[in-house]
Amino acid sequence: MKSSKKHLDFEINLIPCIDLLSVCICFLLLTAVWLNVGSLNVKQAVGGQTQEDTPKNPVMWVRMSPQGELELDVQQSQLIPANLRKVHLAKVNSLPDWSGFERNIVAFRQLDPGLKTGLIQPAAVTAYEDIIDLMDKLKANGLTDLGVSPL
Amino acid sequence: MLSDGILNQSVLTGLLQGQSVIHPRGASFKRHLAADLLLTALIDAFSILVIFLLMSFSSTGDVIFIGKDQELPKAHLGEVLERNPIIKVENDKIFVEDKEVNVNTITTELLSLRKLYTDFHPGVEFPGIATIQADRRLKYEELNKIILAMNQSGYSDIHFAVVLK
Repeated sequence: MKSSKKHLDFEINLIPCIDLLSVCICFLLLTAVWLNVGSLNVKQAVGGQTQEDTPKNPVMWVRMSPQGELELDVQQSQLIPANLRKVHLAKVNSLPDWSGFERNIVAFRQLDPGLKTGLIQPAAVTAYEDIIDLMDKLKANGLTDLGVSPL
Repeated sequence: MLSDGILNQSVLTGLLQGQSVIHPRGASFKRHLAADLLLTALIDAFSILVIFLLMSFSSTGDVIFIGKDQELPKAHLGEVLERNPIIKVENDKIFVEDKEVNVNTITTELLSLRKLYTDFHPGVEFPGIATIQADRRLKYEELNKIILAMNQSGYSDIHFAVVLK
C-alpha cells in the first residue's frame, strides 16, 4: 500500500495579497486628504427683510471691541430680566474672557431656552480667527442661528 | 520536527560556521542559501496602513485650494464644505472663483455668477450662498468689503471655510 507522503499543511500564496494591498496603499496615499476642511455657516445680520417681517425671537448681540473686550446684549427676550441683559467682559491675560463669555451664555440660555440667535458685531481690527472662535463657542452653547454684521 | 521549522530554513548560517577543521569545506553543500521572507509581518504592516488611510479617506474631494501662505482658522463645529461660489482673500487680493477682482468689481462679478445660476436653473430659487476663504490673521475690515458686496448682490448666507479641529 502506498503511504501518503503529501504534506497536510499548505501555504496560502501571499503574493497576490501583497499586490492587492500595495495597490490599495498607492491609491489611498494619492487620494488622501490630510487637512480636514469644513465650513461655519452664518447669515448676514443685516438683511433685506423689513422690520415687520422679522419674527420677534430673542437675540443676543455680541460686540467685539478693538481692544478685545466683549459686550453681550440680549434683546427681544421676555424671560431675561432687563438688568441682566447687558454684560461687559474685560480681557483676561490679554485674551478675550472666553470662560466668562460661555458662563454668561449658559446663564442666559437657562433663563430663556428660546435664545438661539446670536449676532456678531466685530470691530474693524478684529482678527478673523477671533470671530470664528466666537462663532464656534456660540454654536457649542446652543446658539445655532448665527449672523455677522458689517461695519 | 523543530529542524523542519521555518526559522531553521530561513536563517542563513554565518561564514564562521563553515570553517570546520574536520570538514574544511564545511556544510556548504547542505546549506540552503535562499532565505524565505516572513511575509506575514509585511501583510500585517500593509493592512494597518490600509486601515489608517481608509479612515482618513474623504469622498467629498477638494473643494478649495489652500495656498502655502494661507492658514485657515480652526473650528470644532464646522459642517461639510459644499460647492458654492468661493471668494478668496490671498496676499491682499480678492478672487471670485479664481478671477481677480477688486472692491469695485466684486459686486458685479457676484451678480454675474448669480445670473449664471438663474440661467442654468430656471424656476429654482437662488440659494444665495457663497464661501469665504481667508487667512486666520486677516482683519475684519478686509472681510467687511466682501460681506457688504455679498449683501448687495443677494448672497445672504456666508460659509466661512475653516479647518476642523
